[in-house]
Amino acid sequence: MNTLIDFHSVDKSFHKGKQSVRAVVDANLTVKKGSVVGLVGESGSGKSTLGKMLIGLEMPSEGSIHFEGTPLWKKKKFMRPRPGDIQTVFQDPQSSLDPRMRVKEIILEPLLALGSRERKEKGGRERLTSLMKRVGLKAEHLDRYPHEFSGGQRQRIAIARALITDPSFIVLDEPTSALDVSVQAQVLNLLKELKNERNLTYLFISHNMSVIRYMCDVIAVMYKGRIVESGPARELFESPRHPYTKILLSSLPSIFREKGPVLSFAPPSEMETGEEACGFFDRCPFRMEACLKAPAFEAITEEHGVACYREG
Amino acid sequence: MVLVLKDLCVDFTGMRGKVRALNNVSLSIEKGEVLGVVGESGSGKSVTALSILGLLGSNANISNGEISYSGQNLLTLGPKEMQSLRGKKIGMVFQEPMTALHPTMKVGNQLAEVIKRHRSVSKRQACKLAIEALKEVHIHDPELVAKKYPFELSGGMRQRIVIALAMSAPPDLLIADEPTTALDVTIQKEILQLIKELNDRRGTSVLLITHDLGVVSNVCDRVMVMYAGEVVEEGITEAVLNAPSHPYTEALLHALPDLADPGEPLKAIPGEVPDLQNRPAGCAFASRCPKAMDICGVSAPALELVSTNRSAACWLRRDTH
Repeated sequence: MNTLIDFHSVDKSFHKGKQSVRAVVDANLTVKKGSVVGLVGESGSGKSTLGKMLIGLEMPSEGSIHFEGTPLWKKKKFMRPRPGDIQTVFQDPQSSLDPRMRVKEIILEPLLALGSRERKEKGGRERLTSLMKRVGLKAEHLDRYPHEFSGGQRQRIAIARALITDPSFIVLDEPTSALDVSVQAQVLNLLKELKNERNLTYLFISHNMSVIRYMCDVIAVMYKGRIVESGPARELFESPRHPYTKILLSSLPSIFREKGPVLSFAPPSEMETGEEACGFFDRCPFRMEACLKAPAFEAITEEHGVACYREG
Repeated sequence: MVLVLKDLCVDFTGMRGKVRALNNVSLSIEKGEVLGVVGESGSGKSVTALSILGLLGSNANISNGEISYSGQNLLTLGPKEMQSLRGKKIGMVFQEPMTALHPTMKVGNQLAEVIKRHRSVSKRQACKLAIEALKEVHIHDPELVAKKYPFELSGGMRQRIVIALAMSAPPDLLIADEPTTALDVTIQKEILQLIKELNDRRGTSVLLITHDLGVVSNVCDRVMVMYAGEVVEEGITEAVLNAPSHPYTEALLHALPDLADPGEPLKAIPGEVPDLQNRPAGCAFASRCPKAMDICGVSAPALELVSTNRSAACWLRRDTH
């Protein structure tokens, strides 16, 4: 499989006055064509920021992001590859659809970024109705407003909007977190089918480990802006290496998980930690003195890597 | 029994007419028991909690049924009597810890205020008890945290403080409505452990409302599954989750991605929850039910005992009884 996206030592800091926060620290990640890469981590870990840098909403402070071999950001400008080639579906379909636009206008809006010929070609009535049907909506829904739909239906509208430009890559930022379990299953099935039909590549951002396990081929775990572990989904679930990944997996309130020994965060450390220390030091149950200098991210196997001294 | 609901019906009057939000809901909680109420949005979980607390809006009407707390019928109480019950006898924890706390008041003072009101102690003593209460919800360095404002604390810390507030009276019954939904999984686990621990140590009964079956399996003794404003199944948690009696419970469990093979599609429940304005004549789940029979579309089954400790509202279970 070819590499579609390549993050190379990407940093992102946000500033406010003299304060600054490093939302993403030295992120390295490759997304292969046709795969689903999952990003997990707690709120504020930098998952969404990473996704936003791909769609042009945030600019990386350092490092480079390549899409099909060409840099996405050049001299502080977002270099759109082919308009509409990268699309996104957000978490809350309540706020991501303009309440004053009809469904038809919402779905067709991304085409405004395209040239007039392509716009006509892709925005044809026939194509629009078949797309509506494909995502599980009806043609007569086109003239309605978002408030007339349920949460699941609205997310289907958002998916149709992402697909209208025929993208090759979609950032899915918590696409089912606002949905009920039964509807979540419908939407996940749809996303999986669409991926296979259209040979799409997904970056799937979620805090729900069960959803990630079901959807993704590769998983990257983030903690305080750093990717602390990444690897093939199955391997990561069966033998997690980083203490944070282990805690994350053992906190899953899954009904089917065997109730084995549960790993928890350590009480905050009394030790002085500097900038240099591992980001997880304060809560790590296995911390040691060496961790006061952060470990580098190292490969264990070709695909599985971790940033921890105990495993590296 | 700490709390008993019998055939409770709640109607809401809106612009498009009347909607029945709860239809003959019955439940009971024993002393020291944790009862989980699960269901999807619109199933009536939160309305159940609000009606117990007497916090339904003016557009709601309890048209039938009884709510009795320690033998006392709550529906006959006036607003003042309800007020003295809330917080003191029945504690509450809601989903969003930020909106439940006073934003411009230090958390220690908020706690002390509540303690002073419920326990008739001096101000100084209330402050001391507030620190104790913070310790009890496992807050390190309670003296420091007591001097902070809610916005200075993380979501998990805030929810701990809300729990400390709810438990300060101390109540006999704690109603927790999606207490961990706004929190990260790792924090969620800690909060659930805390609720379970307080339940163990103090014998407080808990009504835990959630949409997450995983949460139920971790902390609840018994579980009640709601669908479209009705109770469809009720029983011991482990038994219900391992061998559900109602097709809806079964479908809900199968729709979870937890155990699914990534190569297979998830078993989604087709269709959507019926419009409560036009409640179908028969069973509310019939149109989505893979096992629906002719009778299901005509007549709604009542919740009945199907085996020891297990009730279900399903025609399929009638023969086995």
